[in-house]
Amino acid sequence: MKKIADTGNEQNSFTFCVGPVHPALKEPLQFTFKIEGERVKKVDFMLSHVHRGIEWMGTRRNPIQIIYLAERICGICNISHPFAFCRAVESVAGIEVPPRAEYIRTINAELERIHSHLLWAGIAAHELGFDSVLHYILKARERVLDIIEYITGNRITKGIMMIGGVRRDISKKQYRKIIEAMEYYKKQVKKISDILLKDHVVKARTINTGILSKADAIKLCAVGPTARASGVKRDVRQDEPYAAYKYLDVEAITPATIGKETRGDVYDRTLVRLAEIRQSVNIIVECLKSMPEGKIAYEDKIPKLLAELKSVEGEGIGRHEAPRGEVLHYIKLIGNETLFSWKVRAPTYANLLSWVPMLLGAQIADIPIIAASTDPCLSCTNRAVITKHGKHVVIDHEALHELSVKKTLALRKVKHD
Amino acid sequence: MLKDILDSFKRELGEKIIEARIEEKVKGEKRLWLVVRKDSFKRVVKHLFLAYPNTRFAVASGYDADTHITLIYHFFVSLEGKAGDASVNIKVDVPKNNPVLPTITDIVPGALISERELQEMLGVKIKDIPDPRRIFLSNDFPKGIYPWRRDEYGPERIVRDLHRGDKE
Amino acid sequence: MIVIAKELVKQLLKKPFTNLFPAKYAPKSIKQFLRDAKEGKVKLNPPVVVPPNFRGKIEYDEKKCIRCKLCTRVCPAKALEYVEKENIIKYHLFRCAFCGQCVDVCPTGALKLTKEFLLAGYKKD
Repeated sequence: MKKIADTGNEQNSFTFCVGPVHPALKEPLQFTFKIEGERVKKVDFMLSHVHRGIEWMGTRRNPIQIIYLAERICGICNISHPFAFCRAVESVAGIEVPPRAEYIRTINAELERIHSHLLWAGIAAHELGFDSVLHYILKARERVLDIIEYITGNRITKGIMMIGGVRRDISKKQYRKIIEAMEYYKKQVKKISDILLKDHVVKARTINTGILSKADAIKLCAVGPTARASGVKRDVRQDEPYAAYKYLDVEAITPATIGKETRGDVYDRTLVRLAEIRQSVNIIVECLKSMPEGKIAYEDKIPKLLAELKSVEGEGIGRHEAPRGEVLHYIKLIGNETLFSWKVRAPTYANLLSWVPMLLGAQIADIPIIAASTDPCLSCTNRAVITKHGKHVVIDHEALHELSVKKTLALRKVKHD
Repeated sequence: MLKDILDSFKRELGEKIIEARIEEKVKGEKRLWLVVRKDSFKRVVKHLFLAYPNTRFAVASGYDADTHITLIYHFFVSLEGKAGDASVNIKVDVPKNNPVLPTITDIVPGALISERELQEMLGVKIKDIPDPRRIFLSNDFPKGIYPWRRDEYGPERIVRDLHRGDKE
Repeated sequence: MIVIAKELVKQLLKKPFTNLFPAKYAPKSIKQFLRDAKEGKVKLNPPVVVPPNFRGKIEYDEKKCIRCKLCTRVCPAKALEYVEKENIIKYHLFRCAFCGQCVDVCPTGALKLTKEFLLAGYKKD
């Protein structure tokens, strides 16, 4: 690497594309980097490979059908989109949700947060080259998926939200299994934190890599753990308490609240996410203890609900704290059976621009872990094309992942010398 | 807190605001909706950021209302600590024969993606935008078709209904 | 390094975590294998247990149906279609999303959720 000196000479820089399909990202996204030596000088990205026209499809369906459409926007933030949508409709129509339904919604949302953060931790370990940790974490995650299937009937597309409440109740017989699973997770999170955060090779690769400063996070309007790891205390559960969060006291987790130094790098984001799993386990146990009895939906008869929504007019906004950040839905009803206007803002939308300051000055082998550390909700596979003075060299999709793994092995050798 | 924001707006820019209302249809969720004129839009946004430096831009949505296009910019104003978030939504109408609006990326750089989306989905032209390329539609999507519109520029003619069976 | 090494050694001593196929190796003739299993010569691994209230395929009872068409209004995937000529509801299995909303809406209980989920096929109709 010393041979290619960083003289700033244009002839020494070449353009490097990652994507649209790549193992580091979970959805199609094309990065174009301008590289000098091993460092990135300029970043550019292009989306647009999976535009599905969901907002337009919403204008042909009534609100109850849209709940299921919103569920299929994303496979991992599966309860977040229907939750925000139902909140938006309830805000327009002035519907009050009964307290028992609020607690059940919260329990499902926190179960989803546990499974999403565990999946992210496994994928981040895979990017660094620790495949055995990936399989260990995926095995640990099976328990929460079994609980979700036990409560709602399916592992991923849960189908439990309804406007004005939920569709299924949690009976007293099911409490015991949930509490046993939470005990299991309290021990597992401690083990996984030790594996990921105390390992000296992980520390060498993640500390001071992909830094996002607090000023940048505020300027670029970042949300979720990406912003919280840089020291910005921003969490919908704390800022505008809703559902059962009104009765609990939830505080946004930043590295300062756990007593660690804030740098805004990949290590801090891992720290924040593992701490949030612990927080979710405590919230679920608290909710099960204090859940009141009562109805689980505002209106049991669906045709009556449809008739009521047909005559409502107005605009509303619904928000929810998904595992990746803040989800926002805006709807407008005009007294028709179908919606007039629907806007979905997923959390990755707001975190896209924060890739640019994070990737400047980074090495090529760090690109997968930095791009994956913001937990982009996208998916992928493909080859990278390197163009050098007009010649095209096509590299297999394994090559970028291999570069990342080689760096880990090299670092391990250095530490042992 | 919303009442204070509304009062500060009325003091500074009284005549520029066409309509303002605070809604609370569900207990605990207050929203402030402002309707402003196209020419004073940028002044209103500048005042919001000067008076409340902790404002965050969330997203910009819009819809097609026959003779004009309505755009809505959603902001959240927060005070450090546990005082909570306040939701401020600014609506602005642009006529269809001249859909031009100034950019706000010099005040808040995080608005770039929303503005690029408005340009390609509704056909609105944002003046002085630093990066006018398409973002969510691919390059081979036909030019001149705007997916969120309901008039002759809408996507009706390129829609294919898959549930009517594959008889192609 | 030491923490993960201890965990990995523990995993070696445990049973495999994945669900097992009915037989360890693929049999040469499936029909013969099934005949042997019936007579008790070969032991099959039990299938994966499905929890109660699982959402599988929809079952339609024509006699209870009163043709109110509420299910067609609520289905998000347009999988239930009212055919005018034959006066019956047609269920398109390959469009169904298994949400169960039609079961909730039906006033007479003519639609039910079963536990079948192995529904692969070759044709779309």
